[in-house]
Amino acid sequence: MRARSLVDGYSKQEVGNNPPILTGFFGSFGGRYVAEVLRKPLHELEEAFLSIVPSKEFQEEYQAKLKSFVGRPTPLYYAENTTRLLGGGRLYIKLEGLAATGAHKINNALGQGLLAKRMGKKRVIAETGAGQHGVAVAAVCAHLGIPCRVYMGEVDMMRQKPNVFWMERYGAEVVGVSSGSRTLKDAVNEALRDWASHPEDTFYILGSALGPSPYPDMVRTFQSIIGVETKEQLASLGLKPTALIACVGGGSNAIGFFSPYLYPIDESEERIKGTETSNMPRLIGVEAGGRGPGKGQHAARMSGEGKVGIVQGYKSRFLLDEDGQVLPTHSVSAGLDYPGIGPELAYLGDRGRIEFITATDRQAIEAMDFFARTEGILFALESAHGGAAALRLLPSFSKEAVVVVNMSGRGDKDLFITARELDRERWREFLQREVDSLGDAL
Amino acid sequence: MKKLMCHLVAGYPTMNLSFQAALGMVEGGASYLEVQFPFSDPTADGPRIQEACVQALDGGFTLREGFLMVRRLSRTIPEIPLFLMSYASLVVRRGISWFLDQAKEAGVQGLIVPDLPFDQDEGYYEAAWERGLHPISVVVPTMDSKRLDQLLGLLQSHGERYIYVALRTGITGDPTNLSDENLSFLNMLAAKELKVLAGFGISSYGQVEALSPYVEAVVVGSYLVGIIRESTTRFGGSSPDQGESLKRAVAKAVSTLIHPV
Ligand SMILES: Cc1ncc(COP(=O)(O)O)c(C=O)c1O
Repeated sequence: MRARSLVDGYSKQEVGNNPPILTGFFGSFGGRYVAEVLRKPLHELEEAFLSIVPSKEFQEEYQAKLKSFVGRPTPLYYAENTTRLLGGGRLYIKLEGLAATGAHKINNALGQGLLAKRMGKKRVIAETGAGQHGVAVAAVCAHLGIPCRVYMGEVDMMRQKPNVFWMERYGAEVVGVSSGSRTLKDAVNEALRDWASHPEDTFYILGSALGPSPYPDMVRTFQSIIGVETKEQLASLGLKPTALIACVGGGSNAIGFFSPYLYPIDESEERIKGTETSNMPRLIGVEAGGRGPGKGQHAARMSGEGKVGIVQGYKSRFLLDEDGQVLPTHSVSAGLDYPGIGPELAYLGDRGRIEFITATDRQAIEAMDFFARTEGILFALESAHGGAAALRLLPSFSKEAVVVVNMSGRGDKDLFITARELDRERWREFLQREVDSLGDAL
Repeated sequence: MKKLMCHLVAGYPTMNLSFQAALGMVEGGASYLEVQFPFSDPTADGPRIQEACVQALDGGFTLREGFLMVRRLSRTIPEIPLFLMSYASLVVRRGISWFLDQAKEAGVQGLIVPDLPFDQDEGYYEAAWERGLHPISVVVPTMDSKRLDQLLGLLQSHGERYIYVALRTGITGDPTNLSDENLSFLNMLAAKELKVLAGFGISSYGQVEALSPYVEAVVVGSYLVGIIRESTTRFGGSSPDQGESLKRAVAKAVSTLIHPV
């Protein structure tokens, strides 16, 4: 077993009192709870991840493409207007949504895509919910010249038609999943099945920091660029963060954004939580509060009713009924509409290192609207959950405090959702005219 | 001698009809029953079984009712060993001890939980053996030999002889090809005096005949789910004879898998 520091850029000291070993477990969470048929491909993936990703050649290629293809570094923006309006701490926004294809998802898609190529895989598969991860994978596969198939729940395909269209433009085959709730979790199931049938030639690019080991470690590694870059950008301004805020679906943008600050978890309570005076920033994860509490109305696993369970190959907190069946979830943002959370986040939440709160559908939409008008910056609805939390918490910080929220994606993709919420009548008229003009053209 | 282990989803198409289907399997000549408790996210199952699970859950399947149904089965057909198949989420939710106690009390003899592998089992294997239940591992021919040896050593040290082989690399419902790789794997297990239950994709007498010499029992799953679906849609509605006709259809299908037409 090799040290985690090899793949992460965590120095040994920073890893501190945590085991610097890739065990696949975070406390008792994580693991590889899969049928025997998937053990071998997962083992091969782990070996490849640990030997190839830290190599100089891989890192050079990955870093170069992050620059030329993804458009990194993404800016760190000082939200001066908001800071002035709200009082309290200074707000910074990491504009991760300016990365190619509009979200952080491409950092991970590119990393795994390059790994697939070096492993000699002939075919890539992926799951997608909102379609952001699918679009990122499709673009990366077009760039790298690997055939790509994306599984997507039929319900999501209907809600997110534009992303289906873009994936197909990038040359991906989008396969509708008609089983279960026909959403993200069912797309994951279908991708796992495909992989079990074609383990030799297929690479499965999982889109969040969850699933069986080594995915949580690998996805965090590829997303850690968000946090590493933010830390450098703050340092160049002579600043250190007081608090970091990110939305949490499966948890990939959050764990990547928080990554330089997660460890060590000290036994002294203050060091764990982070305060304005300690060296450790507060880390705040924001889950989908949906329409409010109540079964099926939200996706709050840590701040709500999440139960310890084993689903889709990993142990973590999930929204489950008393028999262990997975409960339905709801969020206005498809990217947060998922019943499980990455095991490392669940572990750090239970340990008290990360605080979890929720923002509702409404609060997210209002935050999206607020930042558009106040800063000229358009948050994706997922990221707007983090934005809403920032607006809520900012006044409670001191003037010196530096609060950074990760805008994991930009909001253009949500046009069909936000327009019907915020400008229903005129949007209806527009759509009607479009439909009519399509008819004329026939 | 051709022995079958017939698979069914508890609660599909309804609780009572799944009970009748089980009786039909035994009437048709099944030697073992594998009762699956439906889970919302059955990653190791093919489309047919998955669909059946969704329907059973939509129909209101609960563990309580599932265990009641299994108890009724074990009382009605005490001569047939009953194995319970499900997923980790259901087994660990209220605690492994609770789940295994319920299973034992319901008359189950063994369990198949594909996503609790022997080396990441949350204590499930030991807890099953303590109760005199068989924790049945699902293995595949592509398995790493060191890992397989580790498992076989563990089974041997507990006198556990049952083992379940998922033939071909893949998911239930696809055709099985009895390749040399599959057969040499089965022979190797048989040489270790293991009671091998093997299947995935079995739907014909020819396949059963080909596989039987190498195994304790041939597992039939998706095919029978298809038979149950066909039979219940054909007779439809809530006809009082529906249970009887389903039982007959299933018995006939099972019997034609064991006897040449
Ligand atoms: C913009 C954006 N943010 C956040 C998420 C949630 O995923 P994660 O929690 O893995 O970052 C998604 C998922 O689709 C997304 O598209």
